[in-house]
Amino acid sequence: MRVISALSVCALSCAAVAATPAPAPAPLIDSGVISGLGARNIGSAAMSGRIAALAGFADPSGKVTLFVGAASGGVWKSTDGATTFKPVFDEQPVQSIGAITIDPSNHNNVWVGTGETWTRNSVSVGNGIYKSTDGGETWTAAGLPGSERISRISVDPRSSDTVLACVPGKLWSDSAERGLYRSADGGQTWQLVLKGANLSTGCADVARQPGSPDVLLASLWDFRRKGWTFRSGGDGPKAFSGSGLYRSSDGGKTWTEVTPATAKGLPAKPYGRIALAYAPSEPQTVYAFIESTDSALFISHDGGATWERGDKSSWMVWRPFYFANLIVDPKDAKRVFKTDGALILSEDGGRSFSTIGGFHGMHGDVHDVLVDPSNPRHVFAGDDGGLWISYDGANKWWKTDNLPISQFYHVSLDNQDPYRVYGGLQDNASWVGESAYPGGITSSRWENMYGGDGFWMWADPSDPDYVYAEAQGGTIGRVNRHTHELRDIQPRLGAEDLKRYKKLRFNWNTPIAVSPHEPATIYIGAQFLFRSRDHGQTWDRISPDLTTNDPQKQKQEESGGVTVDNSVAEMHTTIYSISESPVSAALIWVGTDDGNLQVTRDGGAHWDNVVGNVHGLARNSWVNWVEAGRYAPGTAYAAFDRHSFGDLTPYVYVTQDYGKTWNALVDGKDTKGVRGYAHVIKEDPVDPQLLFLGTEFGLWISSDAGAHWAQFKGGHLPAVAVRDLAVQPRDNDLVLATHGRGIWIVDDITPLRHLTPQLTTQDAVFMSARPVQQRIEAQGGWPTGAAAFVGDNPQDGAVITYYQRTRQLFGKLRIQVLDAKGEVLDELPASTRRGLNRVLWTMHRAAPHVPPAVQLAFAGTQGPRMPPGTYTVRMLKGDKTYETPLTVGLDRRVTWTVAGRQAQYDAAMKVYNLFNDESVLFGRIVGLRAQIAQANKGRPDKDPLHKRLGELDDKLDALRKRIVATKEGGAITGEERLREHTDQLYGALNSWEGPPGQYQLDNIAALRAELDDISSGFDKLTTAELPALNKALTGKGATQLVVPPPTAFDDDDAPGHGGVAAGRLDPDADAVSDVARLKSLRLWN
Amino acid sequence: MLRTIAALLALATPTAFAYTAAELATKNVEAKGGIDKIDAIKSLRLAGTLRINGDTLELALVTLVKRPHSIRSDATLQALTVVQAYDGTAAWQINPFQGRKDPERMSSDDAKGFAEDAQDFDGALVDYQKKGYTLDYLGTEDIDGTEAHKLRVTRPNGDITYVYLDPDAFLEIRTIDRRIEHGVPNETITDYGDYEKVDGVYIPLSREFWTKGSSDHQKIQFDKAQANVAAEDTEFQFPASRPATPAK
Repeated sequence: MRVISALSVCALSCAAVAATPAPAPAPLIDSGVISGLGARNIGSAAMSGRIAALAGFADPSGKVTLFVGAASGGVWKSTDGATTFKPVFDEQPVQSIGAITIDPSNHNNVWVGTGETWTRNSVSVGNGIYKSTDGGETWTAAGLPGSERISRISVDPRSSDTVLACVPGKLWSDSAERGLYRSADGGQTWQLVLKGANLSTGCADVARQPGSPDVLLASLWDFRRKGWTFRSGGDGPKAFSGSGLYRSSDGGKTWTEVTPATAKGLPAKPYGRIALAYAPSEPQTVYAFIESTDSALFISHDGGATWERGDKSSWMVWRPFYFANLIVDPKDAKRVFKTDGALILSEDGGRSFSTIGGFHGMHGDVHDVLVDPSNPRHVFAGDDGGLWISYDGANKWWKTDNLPISQFYHVSLDNQDPYRVYGGLQDNASWVGESAYPGGITSSRWENMYGGDGFWMWADPSDPDYVYAEAQGGTIGRVNRHTHELRDIQPRLGAEDLKRYKKLRFNWNTPIAVSPHEPATIYIGAQFLFRSRDHGQTWDRISPDLTTNDPQKQKQEESGGVTVDNSVAEMHTTIYSISESPVSAALIWVGTDDGNLQVTRDGGAHWDNVVGNVHGLARNSWVNWVEAGRYAPGTAYAAFDRHSFGDLTPYVYVTQDYGKTWNALVDGKDTKGVRGYAHVIKEDPVDPQLLFLGTEFGLWISSDAGAHWAQFKGGHLPAVAVRDLAVQPRDNDLVLATHGRGIWIVDDITPLRHLTPQLTTQDAVFMSARPVQQRIEAQGGWPTGAAAFVGDNPQDGAVITYYQRTRQLFGKLRIQVLDAKGEVLDELPASTRRGLNRVLWTMHRAAPHVPPAVQLAFAGTQGPRMPPGTYTVRMLKGDKTYETPLTVGLDRRVTWTVAGRQAQYDAAMKVYNLFNDESVLFGRIVGLRAQIAQANKGRPDKDPLHKRLGELDDKLDALRKRIVATKEGGAITGEERLREHTDQLYGALNSWEGPPGQYQLDNIAALRAELDDISSGFDKLTTAELPALNKALTGKGATQLVVPPPTAFDDDDAPGHGGVAAGRLDPDADAVSDVARLKSLRLWN
Repeated sequence: MLRTIAALLALATPTAFAYTAAELATKNVEAKGGIDKIDAIKSLRLAGTLRINGDTLELALVTLVKRPHSIRSDATLQALTVVQAYDGTAAWQINPFQGRKDPERMSSDDAKGFAEDAQDFDGALVDYQKKGYTLDYLGTEDIDGTEAHKLRVTRPNGDITYVYLDPDAFLEIRTIDRRIEHGVPNETITDYGDYEKVDGVYIPLSREFWTKGSSDHQKIQFDKAQANVAAEDTEFQFPASRPATPAK
């Protein structure tokens, strides 16, 4: 059976739509259907992301196995001391990590507590405790699903099944599921053994006394975050706090509070967060950092019975909720690390500390330290910028470049070719990177443009030399991308407004928007919306206060609890989202963090708060995203986020009438399979039915305007927060800003625009795709070693996309490419998965026949790239055949024309044919020599005919040696003959696809003449000598010699002609690397 | 004040799977054609192509397997043939691409994969008990849109293979081999397709494999498969002289 899909799938499916009535609504797509598009992570690991927890051990040889818990990017395992890492938690439904513990009696048992406990405003959430019994290769959910975050896990060294889990619990709401839990059966059941006095008090830390595993200290922590405030401890320095210090002497079954009354030396309550650590080498020595109104380190040398006050320097007491962690050197009880903005170290048992890392020499904001137990000079530290390694006892630090766990807030794109990616990251500033680069996207392909925490970032559409970037609290800058000249253009209040409004309230993550209509126009939101039409030289306030202006949510100066902490992170009653309509410049939408949804249709003269029209939505829901529709002026989308009220449900609505009425696309009544609070909702720029929704747990896609949703898992995208996304309109790439795993690109989403119900019921069909270019086959990159992350480039070739309804398991599935004459140019191994599949055609024709020699002719291992034109792609699937045309064009960037490209191809084909003809002549020589060998077989040396045959053989061999190099042995012989010269010319011609130089064409003629000369020699030799020899052979009753016909020495249909891209082979360096690749070839799995 | 708090969280229900590991292994063997037909294949010759380096380089490939533990692959480019073989005890190779055709012995760690491939050429689950393997069923996992059964195969030397079975056909769609080589774990992922019957046994004729974390995939496409072909032991043994004769 033959099924021809004559053109694109659109043509096919659109015709089908017209011919058949609309079917009943049904899920068009699911995760399996759409994820075959794949995705690539371009990092970066240069600005790695926050690390929340470390764990590891050293084997007897000193090799360190390391587990890294990313704040929102999963668990990474290294078995080589951090040279390489692999993510081992990507299949799990959450990626926020709070604690990792390795069973001290069995290193194969690894426990992970999900949910980070460095509870900053942007912190993610977990869903319980996980256990691995095979060293982190596979994981099982082991309970505590409602814990939300876990700060510490302690395994009894006598019993692998006896485990304590320290659960601070939910950050944003009351919960009974918090405190210290104990399991005696390996996590099958858990008992709450230490509970706080209220529903906001959980467990912050637990420490087990070395050598006396029944003796433990634990701390309870009273804490709460709201959108506008945070407290560690009670509501203020004098308010009640459930925080406290506790001791157990029965393995954690029962607990007694340790107070200033019962333990001499402890500070007066109330307490905030408390960190605890025993000294492994001196079990009676224990350290406690206690947040109180007089925060300090406390030291006990009698197991916690009495305490003395130690250091209380700045970095000891700064921001306890974010930095309460103590690590004691395993061999030196006096050596104590305290994490903080800077990493500090005491070498005198906690009395004084030195700054050894942090904002100088490291990134800073350190959260965990791991000291190599086999070598305490070898130290690992995790901070907001990634993982750091010291080999000198924590004095100097190596930055690892292999953990792409960067936490982007936002992303934007430009229209360069390849386009560039812009974005800001949590505590890692604002960067611009390449979406593609020869050799891969290394850290060096990203460039820093601004400081602080990074958020929105845009290329200035009106001036390619400039970018807009911002730091926390609306600190917007306009930066020259070449000189890095920076101008702070944040709007400020004049005298009258200052008196009236007191201050501008900029959110931590202040929205900046660029007008789709006026390239020089930008917006920024405080409580007012500001607009500048002159790059920030002047600002117009174009709105009244658009927030609720609730004074109860403007008490940030009281935020912090026991310790004041007002870092702008709690700034509230602010504008959080801005969207100017692509349809009308006067139509602007604004969403606020306190639940207002405002719209103006006259450029800001009048505003309507339409949030009351969103029925069923609780008041004051944070407007994470508002997006004006592209296709109709009245259309807008809004994503509301209530996680700051303890509700993780996604809420997404659409209006078609300027906000008068709203329909839920996703809400608490029907989440439609979407998980996680919603960050961003966007329309596809081409297909109004295609929507993209980023949530705290990934990306969801709808192809029916939000009626159904499917999670995208292409490229093994884990359940990481997708906080922003952008579609590059020229290339149709979907670019994701993940908060924990960097930037991901789904190349060419065109196929998603054609996934109609009619299409998905078909067995198989080709999908439309963006026009194919022959991108420049450029060189780039340099060996970076195994310890560097390199982001993938888009596939180099024509990407052929097809859909199949079910996985192809039985029988052949082949993709062929044919030229205009119907000749099969290539047959590609097909992808067999269900749903969308992609295969790559490199666009090269089969390699030439190359006469065999002692070494490969590297350029000749691949055919020239076919010229631009229209080809046919054919799918052979069982007994069915499907076809679609494939149009190939030039790279937009090249300077040559199609005619010039054709000239290059023609020249390359002349050399290609030269190779073939050399091969034919070589085959004739070899064939004749084989006959001579046969004729001489068994013939006595004294036989005159033996000598005559031998002499002819020598002459033939001399001709052979004019064609190919023959010195064996594997050394660099430098021997060059016709074949080697042909290979060099062939490589040169294929290195650049513009018109060839005359000297190259002359060289083709020269080499052709040389071949003709050898061929002539062969003809003369055989003409001159064969008749007489054959007469003699006949006289001896032997078989006559026959000149072999002019066919290639090998089988025409045999594979084995393919090879590396011809022009890319440098005779020295690259050739060696390709040889190395071939030398390490593994012919089986 | 002593506190004794005995609030039990919801118990984690022991995971109940629809199948045991042994049942899935049995189904896998049956799906392939049954143990009798599998055992009847004493040798297997597969011929096709190998693509590497981002599909830019294609070699002719012939793989020959012979029970109980022998395997050999010949990959040819420009009439130069790379040979890699294992005879049940040791592996060797010839790589002539730089002008040297002498056979070279492979280290025992480099040979591990060949040894496993020779032993498991009809699948790791076939005769797993006789081979001393331990099986664990780990539930299902999404493999490219297919909710596949996942089994862990642990070999006597501690190396592990994760086997993913199609939930309907019970044939392998993916394996992940985790081998300790030179003291460190190396992971190779292999996807299988194009199952066709050879002497009554389903054999995957397409395989795509890559090192975990790498985007450089190698693709094998076999076009011919012949069972019980003649295969001399000498074809797998370290050659007495060079060059080795390519497998025919």
